[in-house]
Amino acid sequence: MDLISHFPVILVINLFIFAFAMPLISRRSNNWATIAASFSLILSFAISITLLLKVLDTGAISYYLGGWPPPFGIEFYIDYLSAYMLIVLTGMGLLIFYYGTASLPFEIGRHMVGWYYTLYLLLIGAMLGIAITNDLFNLFVFMEISAIAACAIISIKKDRECLEASFKYLILSAMGTGCYLLAVALIYMITGVLNFDMVREVLVDNIALYPNNVLVALALIGVCFCVKAALFPLHVWLPDAHASAPSPSSAVLSGLVIKIYAIALIHLMFRAFPLELFYQVPLTEIFLWLGAIAMILGSIFAMTQDIFKRMLAYSSVAQIGYVFLGIGLFNPTALLGGLLHILNHAIMKSMLFMIAGIIIYTKGLKKVREFDGMGSQLRWTMTAFIVGSASMVGIPITGGFISKWYLATGAFEADRPFFIGVIIASSLLNAIYYFPIAIRAFLGEPKPENLPVRPVLKHMLIPVVILTVLVFYIGMSPQEVVGILELAIDKLFAQ
Amino acid sequence: MEIIDNLVQNYFYLVAIILFIIGMHTMLTHSNLVKKVIAMNIMDTSVFLLFVAVGYVHGGAPPLVEIPAGTETYINPLPSVLILTGIIVALSVTAFALSLVTKIYEYYGTCDADEIADLRSEE
Repeated sequence: MDLISHFPVILVINLFIFAFAMPLISRRSNNWATIAASFSLILSFAISITLLLKVLDTGAISYYLGGWPPPFGIEFYIDYLSAYMLIVLTGMGLLIFYYGTASLPFEIGRHMVGWYYTLYLLLIGAMLGIAITNDLFNLFVFMEISAIAACAIISIKKDRECLEASFKYLILSAMGTGCYLLAVALIYMITGVLNFDMVREVLVDNIALYPNNVLVALALIGVCFCVKAALFPLHVWLPDAHASAPSPSSAVLSGLVIKIYAIALIHLMFRAFPLELFYQVPLTEIFLWLGAIAMILGSIFAMTQDIFKRMLAYSSVAQIGYVFLGIGLFNPTALLGGLLHILNHAIMKSMLFMIAGIIIYTKGLKKVREFDGMGSQLRWTMTAFIVGSASMVGIPITGGFISKWYLATGAFEADRPFFIGVIIASSLLNAIYYFPIAIRAFLGEPKPENLPVRPVLKHMLIPVVILTVLVFYIGMSPQEVVGILELAIDKLFAQ
Repeated sequence: MEIIDNLVQNYFYLVAIILFIIGMHTMLTHSNLVKKVIAMNIMDTSVFLLFVAVGYVHGGAPPLVEIPAGTETYINPLPSVLILTGIIVALSVTAFALSLVTKIYEYYGTCDADEIADLRSEE
């Protein structure tokens, strides 16, 4: 029974241990490495479910690393939001991994697969750490681990575009973490503690004495998370990085990595700063407008793209706008929409990148205008594509509709009907660039040179089918997810 | 005058901020990739400087178990310890960035971001 109390740390550490064992195991054979990595991911998924059940049962869990209580030690804190994020990360991580086992030997070469698993497990582990840590400096360390791992799973492909994209990403994300560390120094100057809850307690009393420190720290944190989450004016690294990477990397980067920083931002805003501060400082207002601009401009950029993966990458810029719209409106309903959109977008964007990977694998086609008549050859894949794009647009009974509905309701509750217009406009723009591809694939005349090179692998298709089912599941019965999120948001706003 | 007094007393904060801005500016505007990596280090180091300076107590002893005679207080060890971790993190990011630069040089034959952009637009 004692083991269960150590689950929060085992969750993260098990991935790190397996990550570093991976090159050794893959020297023996890639299959062994695949089995070991799957075991580690399944273990983390199982632990996440246990933790979610425990949190639902008994409330939030605190875990002190090494038994040292804060302020001396690092605290892991799992509330409803963290538990929700753990499930999303490990569940999606497992599906993308399963897809990767089939597509990686083709994309990066058989001998690199073991190394890729190392980076992948490190990335998932670091993201889990970001989701559950309750310490400002520990958050910095996890952010750097995930930044390096995220850059490395782009540059592992032997391709010069990937290297350049990866370098650009590394430099911008180093700028982001530099800003974050400076913000931590400024906060530490006032508070002398690094634990989120303790920082908030000190700030509540002392904020009037040191307003400049807090303001500058907030601004720096805002910049850091805008870069990391690719919010509109600082999204420049995203299209190159996500479009050139191997498909499983694109799926995990677009689906999970940019979202986890939005979650870290929400954790910081609600747990490390007093809530009243955000009614005085226009930080949420800035996020709101940047999110709205991202939703429109991201979609317009996506329309002009020729290469399928690049189009999906720009679409991610637009979709992260929805999440920040939810944060920016700063009321429970909109935040629920934003958080739900994290899950929905993770599902549909990962699925679309997997589909892009399948098309490249079977036909070697990258450009949208070569997709004529694809539907008759890749029937399952392109049907899944229609489901994914319907969810992107927000057609009812798909998941995308539910999160957009909550966002629009939130905008209405905040008395900002303008943003309902933005949501509708962005959805229409999504329809303009997603549906023509489906029409082209199913109604276009197949070209003779478009014949499949290889058949679809079963391992690549199964995750796509599972994700398609999930899109409908969330679209038709969102009560369970919404229930968890309502608890999470009550707790955040109750503070 | 109050602001000048504050600056003179806390000049290390000013130095750290100036270094931070130099680093950030060079990192974002310079086209040479190696210089970008160097600038990244300058930026990180400025934050480390600020962090360690925050922990300094004037007249304090090193934080050892036996405090030397004549001193009553010791400096705050926590920032120094955090910065040790920070240095390791900065080191690994630098190592990774430099390895990327060498790879980029292999593929493009240049370390200049503008020239790389030219090469790519020719494709």
